[in-house]
Amino acid sequence: MLEMNNINKIFQTADIQTHALRDFCLHVNEGEFVSVTGPSGSGKTTFLNIAGLLETYSSGEFLLDGKDVGKLNDNGRSRLRNEKIGFIFQGFNLIPDLNLYDNVDVPLRYRGFNSKERKRRIEENLERVGLATRMKHLPSQLSGGQQQRVAIARALATSPRFLLADEPTGNLDSEMAQGVMALLEEINQQGTTIIMVTHDAQLAARAKRTIQVKDGQVNEQQSAPILNKQAIA
Amino acid sequence: MLETGLILRALARNKIGALLIALQIALTLAIMVNAIFMILERQQQMQRASGLDEANSFYLTNTIFAQDYNIISHLQTDLHTIRNTPGVIDAVQINAVPLSGSGWSMALQHQPGEDKDAIGAAIYLVDEHGINSLGLTLIAGTNFSQADVEIRQDGQSTWPSKTIITQAFAESLYPDDWQAAIGNTVYISQHQPMQIIGVVKALQAPWNGWNGVERSMLVPFHRASKGSYYYIRTEPGQRDRLMPIIEKALAESDKERIIRRVTTVEETRARSYQQHNASNKILITVVITLTLITGFGIVGLAIFSINRRVKQIGTRRALGATKGQIMRYFMLENFLISSIGVTLGCIGAIALNIWLVNTFNFAPIGVELIAFGVIALFIVGQLAVLYPARKAALIPPASATRTV
Repeated sequence: MLEMNNINKIFQTADIQTHALRDFCLHVNEGEFVSVTGPSGSGKTTFLNIAGLLETYSSGEFLLDGKDVGKLNDNGRSRLRNEKIGFIFQGFNLIPDLNLYDNVDVPLRYRGFNSKERKRRIEENLERVGLATRMKHLPSQLSGGQQQRVAIARALATSPRFLLADEPTGNLDSEMAQGVMALLEEINQQGTTIIMVTHDAQLAARAKRTIQVKDGQVNEQQSAPILNKQAIA
Repeated sequence: MLETGLILRALARNKIGALLIALQIALTLAIMVNAIFMILERQQQMQRASGLDEANSFYLTNTIFAQDYNIISHLQTDLHTIRNTPGVIDAVQINAVPLSGSGWSMALQHQPGEDKDAIGAAIYLVDEHGINSLGLTLIAGTNFSQADVEIRQDGQSTWPSKTIITQAFAESLYPDDWQAAIGNTVYISQHQPMQIIGVVKALQAPWNGWNGVERSMLVPFHRASKGSYYYIRTEPGQRDRLMPIIEKALAESDKERIIRRVTTVEETRARSYQQHNASNKILITVVITLTLITGFGIVGLAIFSINRRVKQIGTRRALGATKGQIMRYFMLENFLISSIGVTLGCIGAIALNIWLVNTFNFAPIGVELIAFGVIALFIVGQLAVLYPARKAALIPPASATRTV
């Protein structure tokens, strides 16, 4: 489903070359919940940006649902992003001037759905995250946890194959973080593949698979049950 | 898919900047449309035909300082000399020059008497060479004959019995059928009869700002005056060569007068419309400056708005917006702001025009000019926002994940 083979990402400035990713290899199968951890500067965000088609890579091979991403132009990447990927950001990234309904509507408009279909998807997904009664509220009228739920509804509205979550609980207190994590687990159980970048070892342990990135490479991969047991203990 | 509703709702929650630009657009439209209207009106005035063969005509002043001087005898000699100079088509003594700003006017009325309605017109005293010298077109009736021409002493209050008038004057005197003027008797100085024997197509008065500038009349007089104009028409291309030749010939033939102010009719036209030209240049500068300020205002607001929304634009890209969709968003946003601006501007333009009509007797503004202003400002808006919109489209989608 997501297949990265020997991906390299080099940032070039006037004098310095920085290798953000080195021969990065990762395969993610349908239905997985993968957490990505690692210290700051390890390449987690670069990986997430490349996986989400937000950035191009310098060399290597990246197949998304069998499609060679390297062969796509900017428009092609935008379309693929809209169709296959849903994003959840650490800072929620809701549009402050739009109410919840309109915020969830944004990616649906880019897809070109008609208004009836958009309405159905918006209501269904806001219902799913428990905010159907607050559609006309502005993001500023919600708590952080509620805002992240809106962001999840927005990510889910286009029925993506992947959810890419960048520190989804980073700006939330532990109670809200637990709520958001529970929601992500529920979404994963319903069949959506999730890749989550996080600093939080406890949250990472709740994923089915954890990978640790260090110096731009996959350093270690572990299956979740062991970590989960450790976390519970 | 167009995001009109989303943009309008977002603008409604963040309205100050957009409202200021919309007001600037409105003000620009109101002033622009009325200024262009004034410019066009002045240009139309400047383009009106004087009726003269302007390119090939010049005139000079003949000022006699001698005592016991036979003015009429010398006048005949001078006109004979000028008319027989190779390259000259014709010449005439005249009391005033069209568009020069200085001249005479009289009024004609249908009935004799003091309380009768009369219509004013510029009056030119010429002989039977007047029409040919001025380059006028006789469209009805006949020219004066040599026998019609009388001598006019300074201060004389009687008038010859014949006149030739312009078509515009004939239309004022006979609104139903200007051709009915031919052969009719009208009255000058309230009581003196005068028969209209001819109509010329056009001959403007000396005063370009007068609303009766197209109303003129020719009267067959030779003036026995110590100061007069000689108006000379040359063959095409001969004017500039002949001006010094005729000046010298006249000056040398008679030392008891001064020949001065040898001037082309083209120079007179340019001087006559100097103020019009200056006003138009000022108005054009105002229109361009206002439009540029509005354009820069739009650029400024768009850049400010984009810089404020870098993360939001990155998020939109991350959610699947193409570069084209981001550009379209800002172009559409500007279009919507411009729409509010031009709607207010149309109301402002009409209100300003009503005020100008009532205060300065301007003509009402045309719908097509307002439409032009609206389209022009939409184009200015779209061009102004093009660069910022392009800048926005180049914001990378990865901006969405940057924490700073």
